[in-house]
Order: sequence, then C-alpha cells, then structure tokens
Amino acid sequence: MKIKNIWAWIILIIGLIYFFLPLLATFEFSLRMIKDRYTFEAYRVAFTDAQFYLNFGYSFLWAILTIIISLLLVVPTAYWVHWRMRKMRPWVEFVTLMPFVVPAVVLVFGMSRLYGGGLKLFGTPILVLTGTPILLLAGYVILSLPYMFRAVDTGLRAIDVRTLTEAALSLGAGWGTILTRVIFPNLRTAILSGVFLTFAIVMGEFTFASLLYWPAFGPYMEEIGAMRAYTPQALSVVSFALTWGSIGLMQWIGRGSVQEVAAVH
Amino acid sequence: MAFLEINNVSKKFGATEAVSDFNLQIEKGELVSFLGPSGCGKTTTLRMVAGFEMPTDGRIVMDGKDITDMPPNQRDVGMVFQSYALFPNMTVAGNIGFGLKVMKKSADETQQRVSEMLSLINMPEYAHRYPYQLSGGQQQRVALARALALRPDVLLLDEPLSALDAKIRVSLRAEIRAIQQKLGITAIYVTHDQEEALSLSDRVVVMNVGKMEQVGTPFEIYNFPTTAFVASFVGTLNTVKAEVVDPDRKLLRIDGVQLETADELTGRKKGDKLTVAIRPERLNFVSVEKKANVLDCTIENITFLGSIVRVQVQVGSNHFHMDTFNNPFLELPTIGAKDQVTCSKEAVLVLTN
Repeated sequence: MKIKNIWAWIILIIGLIYFFLPLLATFEFSLRMIKDRYTFEAYRVAFTDAQFYLNFGYSFLWAILTIIISLLLVVPTAYWVHWRMRKMRPWVEFVTLMPFVVPAVVLVFGMSRLYGGGLKLFGTPILVLTGTPILLLAGYVILSLPYMFRAVDTGLRAIDVRTLTEAALSLGAGWGTILTRVIFPNLRTAILSGVFLTFAIVMGEFTFASLLYWPAFGPYMEEIGAMRAYTPQALSVVSFALTWGSIGLMQWIGRGSVQEVAAVH
Repeated sequence: MAFLEINNVSKKFGATEAVSDFNLQIEKGELVSFLGPSGCGKTTTLRMVAGFEMPTDGRIVMDGKDITDMPPNQRDVGMVFQSYALFPNMTVAGNIGFGLKVMKKSADETQQRVSEMLSLINMPEYAHRYPYQLSGGQQQRVALARALALRPDVLLLDEPLSALDAKIRVSLRAEIRAIQQKLGITAIYVTHDQEEALSLSDRVVVMNVGKMEQVGTPFEIYNFPTTAFVASFVGTLNTVKAEVVDPDRKLLRIDGVQLETADELTGRKKGDKLTVAIRPERLNFVSVEKKANVLDCTIENITFLGSIVRVQVQVGSNHFHMDTFNNPFLELPTIGAKDQVTCSKEAVLVLTN
C-alpha cells in the first residue's frame, strides 16, 4: 500500500514538473527584461501598449458574440436531439467534431472562397460576407462546437429532459418557458463550462483572425513575439492566467451541483 | 355522455401496434386503473390522453370537447410521473406554483393555492426545500400537489409508486385515493401492480398486447375474470383444461373427475374443451363427507407466506394451489400425503378464451 502511494506521488510530481516547469521558465524569463533584476517591466510595457487593449478588447467582443451565437445554436439543438431525436445524436456529435478533423486554415480558406463571391446566382456573386465579421464569428462558432456541444450534452444527460419537458407541458408551459425556466437553469453548470471553454478558445485564437484580417489577441501576440523578447512571454503568462481563471470560475460556479444531481436521481 | 371518452383509439409505432381499438368511457370523479404487464400499451394510452402521443386512429373527447389534436399544454390535464419529474432548480413551493405562474395567476392566488396544496399533502413545512432534500415518497407527494394545483379536469398518474419501497407505496396509494375522492377529480392510474389497481380503483381496465382484456370493478375483475389472461394476471389462479360433460347441468370433467360450475355453458356442447379457473382461496380440504366437486390429491409442497399458507397439491396431471389463512394452531398436512380438496360450484369459473 505504501509503495503504491509512493509511486502515485512520484507520478504526480513528474506530471506537475512536466506541466509547470515550462510555464515557470516562461514566467521567470518574463521577469528578466531589466538586466540582473527581476521586475514586472515586461508586464508594464505590455499593459501600457494601446494595441494590447484594442486587440484584447476585440477578442473579448468576438468571444462574447461567439458565446451568444453558440448558445442560441447549440442549446436548442442539443435539447431537441435529447427530447425528440435521440437517434440523431451520434450524427450531430459527428458534425460538431469538424474542427478536430478539418484544420482551421482549410476552413478559413473554404469559407473565404465560398462567401467571398464564390456563391453565384445567374453569374452574380451572392452572399458576399468577406469584409464583415460574420465569417470570423461563424468560424469561431465552428471551433467552439465540440466543447460547447459536449458540455451541454453532458448536462442534458444528467437530467431527465423528456420527463421534465413533459411535466412542464402538462402544467401548461410553452417552449419558451420550458427552455428558460426549466432546461436552462438545470444546465447552468454545463452551459457555463461551454461558455468558459469557448471564451478561452476565442481569446487565444490566431488562424481565423489573422487570415480574415480582424484585430484579435492571438495575432497581436504573434506580432509582438516577432518584435520583442520579453513582452510576449508576459502576455503568454497573462493568457494562461486568463484561461485558468475561467476554469477556476467554472469550478466555483459548478460547486455542489454533482451532489444535487446525484440526490435527484 | 361520459366525461372522458376514448373512442376506437389505436397507436402504431412503425409496424408495431402498441394500442389497438381502445374504447373506454370514464365518468366524472371516477378513478380508472390501466393494469397490465410491461409493453401492454397502458402507458401509451395514458400518454395519448395527455397529448404526448398522437393516436393513429380514433378520437379522445373530454367534457364534450374533442382534444385528440390539442397540444399537451392546452389540455386541462395534470400528470404525475414515475420518476417524480420535479424541477430540480425550484423549491417545493416553486414546483407547485409553476403551473399557476405559467397561467399568470396573481402572486396572492399562487401563494394561497400553494399553501392549500402543501396542506393537502401534509407538507406545509417543506415549502422552501429543494427536491434533492426530500425522500422519494415526499417528492411524489409534491409532484401530486403540483399536478393538482391547476385544478385539472383529469389527473393522469403513470406508475407513480413504482420507484418507492413497499411500505411507502401502501400508505401513499391510500393518500392518493383519499385526495382524489376529496377533490372529486377524474383520474387514470397506470400500474402493473394488481394490488394497487384493485385497492384504489373504481374500475380496472386489464390490458394485454395493446388490447383491452376486461373492464370492470376490482371485485368483478378478481372474482369473475372473463379471459385466461385476466385470470392469470390478476391474483393467483389455478387454470386447468376441462371438458364439457353436460352443458344443461353445468357439468365438466377434469382428469376423469366431474366438477360442477355455476357459470352458464350456453352454446357449449358435450365434449367441448374449455379452460376453467379456481382461486386458491376457494379450495378447501374435505372435512365432512361431500359428493360434488371433490378432487383426490397428493400434497406436493407447503409455502408459508405470512398471513397465508399456500399448499400445492397434485390432482391427476394438474397442479393446484390452495390458500388457507395462517393461525398458530393450524394443522398442516404432510408432504406426499393423500387427501381430498373441494370447492363450491361458484368457485369454478369458465373462461371465455
């Protein structure tokens, strides 16, 4: 038993070193902007750059819009699949896996070509979307699909969607009431998981924003990386902190829900 | 005209006919149970009344209004589910008041009705608890209150006690019946538990493979089953093949022994084969000399069932169960001993198919 415990600790320590050593090295490097001294100068430089706020702000905006669109698309779809079309679930799941199969660069070129004048009616291009953020947001929604769908799907599996829906229907509720007062509140943790994962993905995304020429945090980091040595490291640490903060928030909001669901079933 | 009419209703799922030509008239204030094994179509029929399934054929009429094509949220029907289906995000009061809020009742009226319902189910102090803080029995009582809060015309109960333990089941079914009678609400109760159906229903519909086998009061269903299925499904029953000896004198023969029945044998002729049924509690050991309906038997087994002792006897090639009330001074026969059992002619039921 004791030997087993020792091995468990050794494996844990190796895992922690594997994950944290590069991050610590990055953090340590980001503090060495001024020679022979540890300072937060790189962070100060990063945070005093107007471009940082502009790009960060845009990424934040894209993330919020992506989250709204994803929720409107994924929650009703996943709900309907669970409620009425359970046989379709593997197919929907397959569709949501697209970003894992088709690389982002292929997606963005395909979309640019199709919606940049490639779609024609009687020789006249229709649905020209290049130049609008629609393509960027559509791309982000596709990128977030596997995470958002899985999170919502897991939440829906934990509740008896069919019976809860029927109970609400028998009490006179319409679809709007059922979704907003019965389904959404019971999917709170699952939806928040999807929301924060989507947020983290969009905040760090590079390919779509770069190739569609929209300002975002990802391309900004890449640009800074090409010009400066210490500031990109500081931004990497900030980016990690942001992601971890999202996950921490997710855990905090979801606390106690497992116990509640277990007790209900 | 009955309050709820289910007229020639059928339901097909692909090639499978789940419910076939179902006809039933339910009077206002009546509690009717649908009783049958899994897959007999009882829940499907209930769900058609609720509006969750659309009949393939037939019409459903409630209070003179055809509700066949009406969406479930527009029918004046309350439903209680096997899995309680309480909304986990709402308190007990929130659950009970949900339908009232949907109907845009005033806050005062909602509050008052919720209190009424909590008193009705004897849970006034549980208003602010969440479903996960309640036991199964309490959750089901809240589900009942929630369904009744809107004062529906018809209450549908889909195996509401199946997930509960035996003791709670017995007390809760009495509570459900008392509430139903107090409110005078028309109710349909789906169950596969014959004891439940017999104990709380005004009438029982016994179903098998999508068809109605028999409709009647619990007394009729238990004592006068008309089909072999009802006879075998409701209670324990000895069914044996018999041959008509004299239809006018109502005489039958089982393994060479003559039996008299009180049932009519109209349309039968000598030599016809039929099935007869005898309830175990209608059989007795012969204590005084008797000439009619006496069967020689061998004691095969004795099972102690608490208040009842079940004796298995062999009569010719048939095996019969015989129930006798337990008492501490009961003299039980020896296994392997020869004896005689008898029953009244009224106990010999002739099954129609």
